[in-house]
Amino acid sequence: MATAPRSGGSGSGAAQRPNGTSQNKSCQFKLVLLGESAVGKSSLVLRFVKGQFHEYQESTIGAAFLTQTICIEDTVVKFEIWDTAGQERYHSLAPMYYRGAQAAIVVYDIQNQDSFQRAKTWVKELHKQASPNIVIALAGNKADLSNIRVVEFDEAKQYAEENGLLFMETSAKTGMNVNDIFLAIAKKLPKNDNNPGTVIKPNGNESTQTTNNCCK
Amino acid sequence: MANRAPMLRIGQQDLKCRQGCGFYGNTQFDGLCSKCFRERNDKQRKRQKAGEDHETLKVNASSAGGTLERKSPQHSLSLGRANKTKKQPEKEETPAASSTMPRKKFTVPAVLQKTLKNKFPAIAPQPRVPSATESQFMLQLRQLRIPDDGKRKLKSEIQRLDHEIRKYMNNNSSKNVDELSDLVQNAYTRFADVVHNDARFEIATNEDRDIAIDFFEKVVMTQNHNLLFSPYFTTDEESDIKVQKRIRQLSWITTKHLDCSIDEVNAEARDLVYNAISELVGIDSYYSPQEKLLCTVRCCRHIFELLKRATGGPASADDFLPALIFVVLKANPVRLHSNLNFVNRFTNASRVMSGEGGYYFTNLCSAIAFIENLNGESLGISAEEFDAYMSGEQTYSTPWESALLACESLHLISENMKCMEQLQKRNSVISTGIKDFQRELIEFQREVTEKVDTVMAKAPLTLLPIKTPPFLISQARAHLAQDGVEAAAGHYQSNLLSLSPQTMTVKGKEQILEDSQLEVAHTLALKDTSVGSVGRLSPLHPNLPQPDQLFASPIFSYTPFDAVSLLEESSENDDVLMLGTEFHGGLTNINYDFDLSDQSGENSVADESKLNLDEFDPLVQERNTPAETTLLDTTADSLIDSDVPVSEVLLPSPLKPEVANYRGFSNFEIPSISCNTGDFSSLNQDVNDPVPLVQSNK
Repeated sequence: MATAPRSGGSGSGAAQRPNGTSQNKSCQFKLVLLGESAVGKSSLVLRFVKGQFHEYQESTIGAAFLTQTICIEDTVVKFEIWDTAGQERYHSLAPMYYRGAQAAIVVYDIQNQDSFQRAKTWVKELHKQASPNIVIALAGNKADLSNIRVVEFDEAKQYAEENGLLFMETSAKTGMNVNDIFLAIAKKLPKNDNNPGTVIKPNGNESTQTTNNCCK
Repeated sequence: MANRAPMLRIGQQDLKCRQGCGFYGNTQFDGLCSKCFRERNDKQRKRQKAGEDHETLKVNASSAGGTLERKSPQHSLSLGRANKTKKQPEKEETPAASSTMPRKKFTVPAVLQKTLKNKFPAIAPQPRVPSATESQFMLQLRQLRIPDDGKRKLKSEIQRLDHEIRKYMNNNSSKNVDELSDLVQNAYTRFADVVHNDARFEIATNEDRDIAIDFFEKVVMTQNHNLLFSPYFTTDEESDIKVQKRIRQLSWITTKHLDCSIDEVNAEARDLVYNAISELVGIDSYYSPQEKLLCTVRCCRHIFELLKRATGGPASADDFLPALIFVVLKANPVRLHSNLNFVNRFTNASRVMSGEGGYYFTNLCSAIAFIENLNGESLGISAEEFDAYMSGEQTYSTPWESALLACESLHLISENMKCMEQLQKRNSVISTGIKDFQRELIEFQREVTEKVDTVMAKAPLTLLPIKTPPFLISQARAHLAQDGVEAAAGHYQSNLLSLSPQTMTVKGKEQILEDSQLEVAHTLALKDTSVGSVGRLSPLHPNLPQPDQLFASPIFSYTPFDAVSLLEESSENDDVLMLGTEFHGGLTNINYDFDLSDQSGENSVADESKLNLDEFDPLVQERNTPAETTLLDTTADSLIDSDVPVSEVLLPSPLKPEVANYRGFSNFEIPSISCNTGDFSSLNQDVNDPVPLVQSNK
């Protein structure tokens, strides 16, 4: 990419809300999923969006880009979830994805120490390169297999606290904590913009700061 | 696309001239070389016929149309050439635009100019291409569900941005594409603010507002595609060529290198990959960023479809990105960077930052970034190996490449396989049909033989000896004696002919018999035989006595005329005998009867067919031979025995002609006569000595 993309346009695409519901705020957030391959990133999202695990509906073409709307209090929050390729060789492409993202979930596998180390590097990178206000959550997936865990809960918990992350152990298989982690993120995200037409405006401003260094 | 032809014409002219002279333009000649300038003048003259008022705009538009079109032929050009030819027109064009701009300003005030421009596509639709797209846009504008005030505002905003872009492009001092991009993006922001906050848009729904914003972007981008797409002051051209070359060098990459789950060999997967590739290549053919993004989305959906089949579930980004990289590598789309940069710079920023289109576009960007930066490590091979592949030292053969090479034959093979499958299906259907038919045939044969056997068992051919009853001979002799010699050959046919009118159908026969007041048993017998004669396969009536079944009908059908013929000459006592003789001589009579029934079935009296039918009748042979040869011989014997002189003509003939003669008139008398013959059983008893009686009668 020769040029940095622009993000001056402020949220014209966010006006999905029909007229006449102005007492409710509606926000759209871009959430990016990071983590080594096979830690269950897409399973987590599928569980959140479709409530499924393994039983895929015909209509689901891909699990790479999905949206889900949830309500907290008086706000309608629409998550736009961007999956990223977890393989090491594609690591360097990640900035393109988390550019302009308001939230990120870094996923690791509690049975796999390497994936936890990778998660740590993701967190470091996000702190360094992503927008400063980005909400980061750490998810220790496959919690249903906690009897053969390698990454201790306390260890991860402590790391999360040190770095100001949301932390939960989740299981896409059983559904444990899946909705909770998204809800926690939604609560933590700033929803200070009341204008329904320009919801993403503050976030758009955030991303302008980061555009120039992340598009390769 | 219907307007392709005129566009193409202009483009070719432009190309030809510039290639031919290769001179730089002169500002005095509207930034063209003298040759081009002359051509342009010619064009202008043509247009002046259409309408002089809009001349300036047309010049703008035609140059736009020219450049738009000029780009597409480059797809087919070789790389170096595309590079060379492209640069030149770009440079020449801007001055051209700049020269027209001032002219506009001088001729009409800016405000008036705007209004003129507004009206004109609606007032005078023109044959030129840009005006066609323009009028299309006008139509779309009218269809927008926003207030008229809003439409007017939208129009003026479009013109304002149009104007700004051109102004920037004409400003010869240092141009920066980022500045231009900022200019456009600011215009988008400004317009979005207007749409959402201006009173003129108040009653519009949010969706309609979004549509208006989309429309704004689409119109401006389509109109200014030639200026904004791959501007000459950027390095887009070079990047395009570099990445194209790079992708060509990387043609050895397989799905394995990319950790990608596409099955290169599977025909179905290949089809989907081809779909994705054609969409990816198609990105270049759209003008507006929105359409380019939509095209990207379609491409990616094909890939997801493909992955879904390969992995059995919705694919995650872990699968998707490698697949997309593979597709980009195999597609090697033209002007990749130009297209991506065009979208990045000039589409509404939110479009590439969010939404499905934004996600897929980001993936495409990262795929290209990966391709540009990949090394041995990122493909899971050693650096030496990578270098060897890249330099061509190490040859490679990927399933994809070899499949491409063998594409035609592969296609043919798969077509043939399909054809073979179909043929096989049909063949199996036919062979099962044949088997069924064979089975049926065997069954049928079995049935036939069974029935024939039962018939044979019921009616063994032990009757043969009866074939030559001496009394017949004597009868014949008697007839001969009475009426003289009759034509031996004709007797049979004449007999039939005489009979046929009355006994055309079985029913008729029956009726006659009924009329003759025969006993119930007799009629039954007749029916049976008629059935039997029609289809010998049908089982015979078990109730009835065997002889009756086989011989009854002949007897009864013949009794009338035989009886008549005999009755004419004999007394009442003789009747009994005669019936008896009929019975005994049943076999000869049978034949006649069959012939008659056959004939009645066909409703024809043709002698030929009758004879043919006889040939197939198992009984016919027995009859024929007895009637004409064997019978004669035997009768000769018997005649010799009885000391009566024999004439060959004698035997069968005498009866029939007589019958014919009598038949015609006495037919209706038959019944009474046969009735008089009385009981069958009683007759049977008297059958023993018919010959003496006849002879005595004679």
